[in-house]
Amino acid sequence: MDVQLKRGLLDVCVLAAIKNQDSYGYKIIKDLKPYLELSESTLYTILKRLEAANMLTVRTAEHGGRLRKYYHITVQGLQRIEEFKAEWQEILSIYRFVTKEDETRE
Amino acid sequence: MNKQEFLQRLHDALADLPQEERQERLTFYSEMIDDRMEEGLSQEEAVAQIGSIEDILPPSTNPSAPPETVKSIVKPSRTLKAWEILLLVLGSPIWLSLLIAALAILVSIYAAWWSVIISLWACFGAFCGGAFGGIVAGIAMAVSGDAFAGFALLGAGFVCAGLSIFTFFVCKAATKATVTLTKKAVLSVKKRIFEKEAAV
Repeated sequence: MDVQLKRGLLDVCVLAAIKNQDSYGYKIIKDLKPYLELSESTLYTILKRLEAANMLTVRTAEHGGRLRKYYHITVQGLQRIEEFKAEWQEILSIYRFVTKEDETRE
Repeated sequence: MNKQEFLQRLHDALADLPQEERQERLTFYSEMIDDRMEEGLSQEEAVAQIGSIEDILPPSTNPSAPPETVKSIVKPSRTLKAWEILLLVLGSPIWLSLLIAALAILVSIYAAWWSVIISLWACFGAFCGGAFGGIVAGIAMAVSGDAFAGFALLGAGFVCAGLSIFTFFVCKAATKATVTLTKKAVLSVKKRIFEKEAAV
């Protein structure tokens, strides 16, 4: 898969994982597991990238006698998900066009 | 491998990263291990699930990563069109010379800055010499009978000594700041080149 496309998809997946509720690293990996295998190092890179782009914020909270980082989606993050949905509609219509060409040839 | 060993190895492997970034990564992986252990896994099992140290190193510190990054640089995601290549070749006398000139200016500014620092150190050396010479010659003259000139020289020696102490701290701070800034600049350039393509 194209690197840029994959990067964009992973970003949106992580944003979707924290969309309804603040979440932490391991939970994000578990929530995404049915859809894609995400390694810790990949998640770390994505989280840093999204934080730098102001799409999420990080807070540290105590949990079971230790500290845990929670990720919270921002307005920009929510906008990114909406943009993704619109972009995906375009990609789907292009896909339909491309596969239609194949069908007519067959 | 237990958690402590894993984090120590990761700490050593990330030695090239700035302290803050290294700590942030260590905290991230420590939390990941703790969360797994909370689900009932043993320390060793939790560490095993994280993967090997080599797999989780960032591209800039991973010894096995450069071939991948070099490959992605050599094989760009977008190929140049014929007219773009033609334009690049035809325009090279202009953009290449401008680029070289810009680089030369940057290098000369950097060299000029270092020459200022070297001059400061030279001042420090001169003050030290002045202090030593003034004090020794002053004492010698005062002992030999010329008290007025002796004390004047001694005074000048002390002034030089004071100035040398002051200059030493200025030189030290300037050198340290320049070295730190140079390191940061080199790191950021390295990051821009190597992490641009490989950071997925």
